[in-house]
Amino acid sequence: MIVAGCDVGSLTSKAVVMRDGRIIGRAVIKSKAKPWESAESVMQMALAPAGLGLNDVCYCVGTGYGRDKIPFVHETVSEIGCHGKGARWLVPSVRTVIDIGGQDCKAMRLDKDGNIEKFIANDKCASGTGRFLEVMAKALGVGLGELGDLSARAKHPVTLANACTVWAQADVIRHLHDGVPVEDIVAGINNAMAARTATLVRNIGAEPDVCMTGGVAKNGGVLASLERLLSLRLKRIRREDPQITGAIGAALFAAEHANGGHR
Amino acid sequence: MMPEWVEAAVVLENGFIREWKAAGKKVVGYTCSYLPDEVFHAAGILPFRLRGYGTEECSIGDTYFGPFICSLPKCMLQLAGEGRLRFLDGAIITPGCDSMRRLDECWRKAGDDHEGIVPGFFFHFGVPHKFSDYTVHWFIDEIRRLIAAVEAHFGVAVTDEGLRESIRIYNRGRALLQQFDRFRTAPNPPITGAEALAVILAGTAMARDAYNSCLEAFLDKLTDHRTETQTDRIRLMLVGSANDDVELVRVIEGNRALVVADNLCFSARFHLDPVAEDGNLVEALARHYLQKNECPRMYGQYRQRLDLLRAKIRSARVDGVVLQNIRFCDLHGAENGLFERALEAEGTPCLRLEREYGPLVEKGRLKIRVDAFLERIAQKHGAAA
Amino acid sequence: MRQATREYHFDWMLWSAFDTAAKLSRGSEKEYRTTLKYIPYFRGIVEAMLQSGEPGKRFVELCAKYFGNFVTARERGRKTAMTTFCFSPTILYALDVAPVCLELLSAIMALTYRRGTGEFLDYCNEVGFTETSCSSQRGALGGFLAGLGSEIDMIVTDTPGVCDTNANAFSFAAAYLQKPFFQLDFPPVLVDPQTDTYHREDYKALIRFLEEHTGKTLDVDRLRQVLMEIEVQDALMAELEDLSRLVPNPLPVSFGLLTYAGRFLFGGMPECTRLLESMVEQGRANAEKGISGLKSGVEKIRVFFCYIDHYAQDLRLWQLLDERGIGYAGNILSRHWASTAPYVRILDKADAAYTVDTTSLDAMLDSVAALNSRMPMVKQIRGPYDAPNMWLDDTLALAKLYSADCIVYNGTPGCRNTWGMVKLLARDTEKAGFPTHIMNTDAFDERVQSWEATRERFEEFLTVRRLLP
Repeated sequence: MIVAGCDVGSLTSKAVVMRDGRIIGRAVIKSKAKPWESAESVMQMALAPAGLGLNDVCYCVGTGYGRDKIPFVHETVSEIGCHGKGARWLVPSVRTVIDIGGQDCKAMRLDKDGNIEKFIANDKCASGTGRFLEVMAKALGVGLGELGDLSARAKHPVTLANACTVWAQADVIRHLHDGVPVEDIVAGINNAMAARTATLVRNIGAEPDVCMTGGVAKNGGVLASLERLLSLRLKRIRREDPQITGAIGAALFAAEHANGGHR
Repeated sequence: MMPEWVEAAVVLENGFIREWKAAGKKVVGYTCSYLPDEVFHAAGILPFRLRGYGTEECSIGDTYFGPFICSLPKCMLQLAGEGRLRFLDGAIITPGCDSMRRLDECWRKAGDDHEGIVPGFFFHFGVPHKFSDYTVHWFIDEIRRLIAAVEAHFGVAVTDEGLRESIRIYNRGRALLQQFDRFRTAPNPPITGAEALAVILAGTAMARDAYNSCLEAFLDKLTDHRTETQTDRIRLMLVGSANDDVELVRVIEGNRALVVADNLCFSARFHLDPVAEDGNLVEALARHYLQKNECPRMYGQYRQRLDLLRAKIRSARVDGVVLQNIRFCDLHGAENGLFERALEAEGTPCLRLEREYGPLVEKGRLKIRVDAFLERIAQKHGAAA
Repeated sequence: MRQATREYHFDWMLWSAFDTAAKLSRGSEKEYRTTLKYIPYFRGIVEAMLQSGEPGKRFVELCAKYFGNFVTARERGRKTAMTTFCFSPTILYALDVAPVCLELLSAIMALTYRRGTGEFLDYCNEVGFTETSCSSQRGALGGFLAGLGSEIDMIVTDTPGVCDTNANAFSFAAAYLQKPFFQLDFPPVLVDPQTDTYHREDYKALIRFLEEHTGKTLDVDRLRQVLMEIEVQDALMAELEDLSRLVPNPLPVSFGLLTYAGRFLFGGMPECTRLLESMVEQGRANAEKGISGLKSGVEKIRVFFCYIDHYAQDLRLWQLLDERGIGYAGNILSRHWASTAPYVRILDKADAAYTVDTTSLDAMLDSVAALNSRMPMVKQIRGPYDAPNMWLDDTLALAKLYSADCIVYNGTPGCRNTWGMVKLLARDTEKAGFPTHIMNTDAFDERVQSWEATRERFEEFLTVRRLLP
């Protein structure tokens, strides 16, 4: 039986197709203005390599900000629930999941069965989200994917304002003009991001094992900084792109509910 | 099912107010539930709970207030600045909290730039932050000072008989609202939390005598009303910063939850126990308003408020508590943190939400969090079953 | 919080550092230079303080004494009380209670720690306190909430009616740490017979609370002694105020902080008096020679800070003023409105000032009440900003008296009061002829706006308004 999960976020949309508990298709695209267009595009992209179409999908669960606007889903589940589910599948020992998405940052604790025990989400601010990194990377003229490697080479990380993306950006530009090495600035950016995240995580209490999902999980600099602040090792997600964790969780829910486990 | 008079919950200058003004009577707005309404009722004036509901933007509010301020008084100022509060003959500013009390100077200064937006009677009414014999005495003096000012400005007399009658009428309203609460907390409530808030809000925007009659009739109707079963809905309690937006409760409830109880100042806090109807009436009012209002502005009373929440959780059979605060509301925000720790430790799931007061533009963000919270509670129920 | 931070009590470390620094000032040059190597993070401030002469040395000793008092209180059979800067410690000293002033601890740590107090600020949020609360309490409160501070026996504040975020911090701490809590309440009007009656009852209740939780009875003679010391300090502060009206101002920039910090920490105690005496001596000496207290020796303009200074990080604000030849006309923190203060005499503000009357216990309690009512913030922001004797009145009067060329507002994003009406104040001060600059910084948290950005904007203001080239 083929099931699918579709995660329509504010910045990116993801889709995962599974058969018999294995992923047979996956895709990530930049979200379009209309969530249903994003959903259709990303789902087609995920299905195509396996030679499948939407009609082949028995059950589909939608999640993310645009979840209520996806016409072809059978049900919706919160992205918090989906990230928890997906993370547990990717890292079976995980108890705490940190998801830094495009526009918010969430931390959740799972019980031994993988249910959400407690969660917290950041509020009201871009700093501490993927958007912060995007803005900073642009100011520095580097790619988002380079931020991790650059910060690893830093010798004297700068301290950045982490309360406001706008002010932090002004500081980044100033440091550039002053000739501060890009590596040091990037390290400062990653540290600021990690600091905001650490506060959130400590609010719910991190229980090992801890992992990070979402696009920012690919930034080794943020991970390393977060590990230092929390004084624990983060489990890296290696099986799949961490950015599709929510979609994986949605697909897993689809598999469960298609078999009559529907709530 | 909802009666027409509930439009007062969402219409600023509602039908009652228009009729009242047309009859040549006066309306005085007040910012905080610590003001004894009965004083105005006894003076033949309609006390109107000021709100910021209905703004579409906040440029006037933002001009006078600085950036790091709760959006509630900003929205009130916005309405005032747009001239939408011209039906007020007076305004009482109370130090419910610092952001709110700065509405005093912000409104007056905005009045220098926007003509005619400051009501003729503009009064700063002090309220202590604790309850004790001597704070009550100070508060009694303050209420007397208010009465004297009202009498002088409006050319009315607030007599003992008048005050007694007003207290009696307001007590009747309190009793009716407590009856209403019992419907809300029933195993199969005939009314949603959003509808309940609308009913209670309407009472803050119309004459109490009329409200009592309307509410009484509505309660009769509710007794006979048969509704589809709501027993499978998750029962929530809403706690925290002021909320007068019915839509916010609707977003929280969605189609899976019901807000069956709350501890909000536009709602349950507004109608706790009756005021004594004999003895020194001003003292009775002072004691009641200072002691019965369960607001974190009364410092050092965290334990009492926690006990109150615990009692409500038990009596209303609450499944989860939504602890919300308006951004920059440190009083509710911080106390919500304490509540969360205590209640979670006792097995009551809690969700902390931070929001802006004003046009409800962040529904998506709220729903994500609420949905995850409801899923968590449902999982917990499923596991227990 | 880093593991390293969790391994010791932060207040013990502060005490150790300042105690060592205090001894250095009386030691040899070799001891001084060697020790500095071991305190790389404190080095800047220690040097700045100790090299500013006797007042700097006494200040460091005063801080060491203050920290030692509460860190060793238990051993010495004394109780400790967590409190706020705008509550004069007179009554606590009268009952032999060691005060623990959160805001001064936050400021001192912001000045001395390389990374500031970010870990403590954030820890408050981790345990549920709002991030938007004032950083002045959070900077030290986080340490206590994390169990990294000395034992606190009780919590006393006088900010209800004055400052919610402040009062709320103490109320939160009391609930979290489960400690006895007392709040003094403040009606909105300063000069009013009903207010006076109210305060008398409130202070009696405070005494009962303190007696209950210390197991001691208030010694009337001790209270008298403390209040008489206040009068001595008032006279010294009045002289410092008079000296600062001279052109050029003979007082170094740092004397502002030394005055108010000394008074907040040891008001009514000889330690503060000794500090003030050394400042008066140096000020008189400079005045006799007609020299400026600024390092550059040349005073080009004067700035009045209408609220508080900027403490994050090091002493960079003071260094900036020194470098650019900007005379410091003070802020509201050093103005306590004693009847002997020059600004009270000259501005004819006797009704807004306090006097000390030690003839009876009631008179003394009234004096304590009056003194507290005129503490910074308690006086200026308890009522609408433009009400008599409130913030606007004080700002304009002081800026004028001390010949300020411009006014600067600096505070914290947590300050609901000032951010609720600072734009209105600035409009009025501009109308009165004072170019006014509003800083968007956090005085206790550099992460909100970097020092570089703060400096840049301030200098831009000075240039654009043609105050300095």
